[in-house]
Amino acid sequence: VEWNVSVWGKRRAFTEHVEKMKELVEQKTNGEFTMNISYGGLSKNRENLDGISIGAFEMAQFCAGYHRDKNPTITVLELPFLGVDTLELERELSEVVYDHPAVEADLARWNATLLMPSPMPQYNVVGKGDKPSKLEDFSGLAVRATGGIGQAMEKVGAVPTSVTATEARQALDSGIVQGVAFAPHAHMSFGTVEGGQWWTTNLNPGTVNCPVVVNTDALNALSDEHREALMSSVEESLDHYVENYNTNTMGKWDPTLEEKGIEKVTFGEDEIAAFEEKAAGPIAKAWVEEMNGRGLPGQELYDLVTKTIEEKKAQNQ
Amino acid sequence: MASASSVLADDSLVSRLDRRLFRVEGWLALVSGLAVFSLMLLAVVSVGGRNFFGQPLPGYVDWIEQAMPLIALSGIAFVQRLGGHIRMDIVVGMLKGRALWVTEFVTTFLVLLLVIVLIYGSWAHFQRSFDFAAPLWSRDSSIDIALPLWPAKLVVPVALFILGLRLVLQLFAYGRAIASGTASPVAVPLIEDAATQASREAESVHDARVDEETVRDTPQSRDI
Amino acid sequence: MEPIEIGIAVTAGLLLVVILGMRVAFAAAIAGLVGLIWIFWSKKGYAPDQFGWAFTVAAKTAGQVPHSKVASQALSLIPTFILIGYLAYYAGLTRALFEAAKRWMGWVPGGLAVSTIFATAGFSAVSGASVATSAVFARIAIPEMLKVGYDKRFAAGVVAAGGTLASLIPPSAILVIYAIIVEQDVGMLLLAGFLPGMVSAVIYAGLVIALAMTIKGFGPPVGGYSWRQRLAAVPATLPIFVVVAVIILFVYNPFGGAAWGTPTEGGAIGAFVVFCMAVYRGMRWPELKKALIETAKLSVMIFSIIWGVLIFVRFLGFAQLPTAFADWIGGLEQSPWITLILILLAYAVLGMFMDAIGMMLLTLPVVYPAVMALNGGAFVSAEESAFGMNGVLCGVWFGILVVKMAELCLITPPIGLNCFVVAGVRDDISVQDVFRGASPFFVADALTIATLLAFPAIVLWLPRLAMGN
Ligand code: NA
Ligand code: NA
Repeated sequence: VEWNVSVWGKRRAFTEHVEKMKELVEQKTNGEFTMNISYGGLSKNRENLDGISIGAFEMAQFCAGYHRDKNPTITVLELPFLGVDTLELERELSEVVYDHPAVEADLARWNATLLMPSPMPQYNVVGKGDKPSKLEDFSGLAVRATGGIGQAMEKVGAVPTSVTATEARQALDSGIVQGVAFAPHAHMSFGTVEGGQWWTTNLNPGTVNCPVVVNTDALNALSDEHREALMSSVEESLDHYVENYNTNTMGKWDPTLEEKGIEKVTFGEDEIAAFEEKAAGPIAKAWVEEMNGRGLPGQELYDLVTKTIEEKKAQNQ
Repeated sequence: MASASSVLADDSLVSRLDRRLFRVEGWLALVSGLAVFSLMLLAVVSVGGRNFFGQPLPGYVDWIEQAMPLIALSGIAFVQRLGGHIRMDIVVGMLKGRALWVTEFVTTFLVLLLVIVLIYGSWAHFQRSFDFAAPLWSRDSSIDIALPLWPAKLVVPVALFILGLRLVLQLFAYGRAIASGTASPVAVPLIEDAATQASREAESVHDARVDEETVRDTPQSRDI
Repeated sequence: MEPIEIGIAVTAGLLLVVILGMRVAFAAAIAGLVGLIWIFWSKKGYAPDQFGWAFTVAAKTAGQVPHSKVASQALSLIPTFILIGYLAYYAGLTRALFEAAKRWMGWVPGGLAVSTIFATAGFSAVSGASVATSAVFARIAIPEMLKVGYDKRFAAGVVAAGGTLASLIPPSAILVIYAIIVEQDVGMLLLAGFLPGMVSAVIYAGLVIALAMTIKGFGPPVGGYSWRQRLAAVPATLPIFVVVAVIILFVYNPFGGAAWGTPTEGGAIGAFVVFCMAVYRGMRWPELKKALIETAKLSVMIFSIIWGVLIFVRFLGFAQLPTAFADWIGGLEQSPWITLILILLAYAVLGMFMDAIGMMLLTLPVVYPAVMALNGGAFVSAEESAFGMNGVLCGVWFGILVVKMAELCLITPPIGLNCFVVAGVRDDISVQDVFRGASPFFVADALTIATLLAFPAIVLWLPRLAMGN
């Protein structure tokens, strides 16, 4: 059996779990079950779900925020200020949400079964020009931020400005935006660190949720042995992903900031708390209402998220 | 290339249908041109808003992405009518009479098959983004301001449908040309030499004329 | 059959139907569709009851491409750059440039041809598409050259070749396409094209003068303009410089401040400036409508090729052909310079049978990573690289070389778009005539390529300046 896997960009921290999955599955089945990982050759990233639904390839990665209407339920994980502070927590939380029946049904519309998340740390802003010393300084700044993060930045007066990830650096250099919100690996791979002058260490407005899914028919067509090889590799692949992100990417981040002479901006705890209050509640409320309007259990999903975070944090202490 | 080809007209049914369809195609091409023009205005608004009012246009990129399929596809049948899609004509350029029309018939027929399959495929693409039960009928939305994507996706099967009509009409005209063996069939783009020859012939027999409207309304007109 | 063998078989089929005269866009799409069906069916072991499934999946996969690939912000530069060219025609810039060039350059041997070259170079600064440039100059320059007794084939060839300058001198749709395919900075590529475009124009002009001096009665000079007349022709061309300034300021601010915006916006604002100028010069709805329809027609033509070829490229992705090729190039044991030159020669051959955009879309996903690997990787420093420049600059340099090769295809038979267009505008000149007239310019283009290979600084000087900024 050969599966085609559609991801995009280049091999990077963000795709390490998929690469590990390929390795493990081939190993466990003595090369009977192989995966051909294609970086952009099979589909455009925003259409990976379409490709899964058609059956053109068997496995794919995508981000919930690329198309809210395609996957409304999992955008709950992109709400601002959920309070997720580690990759491990992001991973556990995503897995809990992926198991919810409403979420499964949402993805089943695309003939897709959620396999694993691609946990990313909290986004923060790399900016150019006057360094903000308090949150009010964001007022009137154009910031490249999408989804829930963009909505949150709006609450402090920033203007969310749409430029694509690949144009982000040009936009920063040319003053179209004064700040760009990304996870660290993206700041490094899209070059915003080259032109940036400051970096917010603790804004932590939220993150983007990017699951890996498989085509349900293809999954069902696997022999028991092959399916076992696939499913049993999920946790191991994620362990590898998180380990790699924490040591390699995050390990490189501080030296990169230093090397590029980027100043760290840290806001006071009171300020962050005020920001959170302004943004978190109202945006979550609007989200729940929108989901209810679609006939989806919005409140239930939101409660599941907040409850899980509380529980897991308590466990870990 | 047949980009400078002319299309002959007479009073036959196929020619009248040709000119009627061409009017529709012309409007669609103008829509495509107007979409380009609106892109330009959009940029002026966006840049102006950012620099003079400190307020950039929300969803600028999303709007561009909505306009692009209109620009790229709505004039596709218009260009086919004029023979403007590029091709190599070293082989067809050497053919004459029935041999030429048979070749044109076969390649046009293959293109029609392609277009039918693509109408099906692009309609499926549209359907995946469309849901009567959802707000704004949307099951797929743009990245920044969540515009529904189905209208832009619907452009493709609609434009291809018009192209399909055009191809059927051309097949019909080539079929007539195969039957009669004429050197000057109506309603199809003629390659340069054939066109010159045909209009010369037309002058002598007075039963066909170069479609006036084609000459007047199209980029091929030599007077801009 | 292995996917790679299917890939090769389908590619051969594609070439066959193209030669038989099927429209290139549709031929590529058909080949891609057939290839996809084949690949999906082979996955199910060619079981008869699985053909329907393979067909459906292939149809839906191909059916995504026209919308998906075309709905892109970066590609929106193409129609705007084309629109600028047509609006500039109505703003009277084409005639003004040609008139000025004639008064200043007409006296040299082959004077009108030299004037045409420099007028197209000037017009290139507002036009983003080679084909559009050749089309408008065919209407203005050819009649004047014929009037003083030029060979009609040569007159047509000059216009066809001069038009290619539009793709090097910014704005340029094809440089944008390159930047998108290889994910490089669009602004930097646009800057990099400027000097090579000028060098190319000078080499073209040199060639024309040399021909006029060796062949008797080839291109009689047009003299007799006083300095007063020469100076009088200048003001009408000044708007060109306004547009150039606008576009440059949106890409790179030479005064040290931030650029004014993105290249996408620069193109659109440039178009708007020219639009205002054209309205001032008396353009009204009928003319605007014509310009819009011309723009639509050329855009549709280009985009049809883009999505048609991309259906084929999607199939190549499923056939895993790109990976196989990159591995092969990476495994070659010879000087990187020789490999690079062989790649460029391959483009020259391929370019004879394909149009520029289709060729780049088809090959770059495969060739670009291979060239980056030749230089020592995407993140290599100048000191450790094979070509003496870092990864980013190598991408820019290779881009200009490829675009110059792609421009060469516009004047080589059997598919040379510029020649078709010139023949299309002129009733009395056949495509074969234009190809013959354009043939001396192959030599000039070969010289230009050699110059750019030997002196990468011509390409890299402006981008380095902008990077240091
Ligand atoms: Na240009
Ligand atoms: Na060619």
